[in-house]
Amino acid sequence: MGNDTIRYDSLEARPLPKWLTDQRDGLNTWQPPKMEMKEDRSLGVSMVTTGVIILLTLTILTIYFLRKNKKRNRP
Amino acid sequence: MKSSGWKIVIVAAWISLACTTKVSEWVLLNAPADRYLLAYFHQGALPDPVIRQNREIEAKIPQANLLFKQVLKKDIDRPYYALYYKNRLFARYDDSRALAGLTSSPMRKKIAAELMEGQLCVLLYLTTGNSVKDMKGMEVIRKTLSASPFGKIITLVELDSNDPEEQHFANMLLNVEEDLKTISEPMLFGIFGQFRVLEPLLAKGISGENIRLMIDFFTADCSCVIKDDLPGISMLCEETWKDPVPARVNKILDENPQLMHR
Repeated sequence: MGNDTIRYDSLEARPLPKWLTDQRDGLNTWQPPKMEMKEDRSLGVSMVTTGVIILLTLTILTIYFLRKNKKRNRP
Repeated sequence: MKSSGWKIVIVAAWISLACTTKVSEWVLLNAPADRYLLAYFHQGALPDPVIRQNREIEAKIPQANLLFKQVLKKDIDRPYYALYYKNRLFARYDDSRALAGLTSSPMRKKIAAELMEGQLCVLLYLTTGNSVKDMKGMEVIRKTLSASPFGKIITLVELDSNDPEEQHFANMLLNVEEDLKTISEPMLFGIFGQFRVLEPLLAKGISGENIRLMIDFFTADCSCVIKDDLPGISMLCEETWKDPVPARVNKILDENPQLMHR
């Protein structure tokens, strides 16, 4: 029913049933959904986060060691 | 293995089985026939004889894929019955006697029995009465079936479109597509599942290549594409479709793995 033929001029031009053309063209088999590219910011976010963590760690460690050395160098 | 592991294995096995079931078998087991609607249109209160008559009609159709309704409609000249399939008018009957044999006929009983016996499909050749045209198509069908490895599990039947005993069946077949009634050519219908009929091959479309593609359609793995949008339409039929014989196609495919395709 959903495959009802569309208008045609003569019997020669009458289209073949959809199930037949789909079978012939291999369209009756399951096809995986098409992959669509989406805007991906994960790499940028990852790099910025890594940079921030490295800087933060360096800052904390620098402060820690400077204070430690100050205490040790006091007379 | 833990119980959850076994569950995953069993579910995966079921899914893989479901995807390798052939179209003909899957549709027979899982796709119930669509229902027709027989409506009785009337203008007002029903007289007793009509009530009795409609009760008798209703009592005769419990096993068929048919729903009966009485519909009050003011703008009609006289009462009538109308047969619908998915809101499409298939036939109009002015007399209840014309409904005789609506849900059952010898040819439909035979076809239903063949489908229940595990046949791959039934090919119905609807002839025109023009012996030259009819013979030409029949020769192509016979030749193709005899050369097919699935020939023995395909039943071929012939129906004269003017057979008075099968007039309801022929009318339903000619309603599979909207223009079929206007075409005076022999037609080949593929019937499968719970009496589902594919859009036919007709005239020059009845070729060896197209018949092989039809057989390929029935013997292919049942994909989600087919399950979601099953082609063809259901026929009216009195059959419960309970406990069919296992599909014979599987034995042929097991013995001849080279015939497997998707």
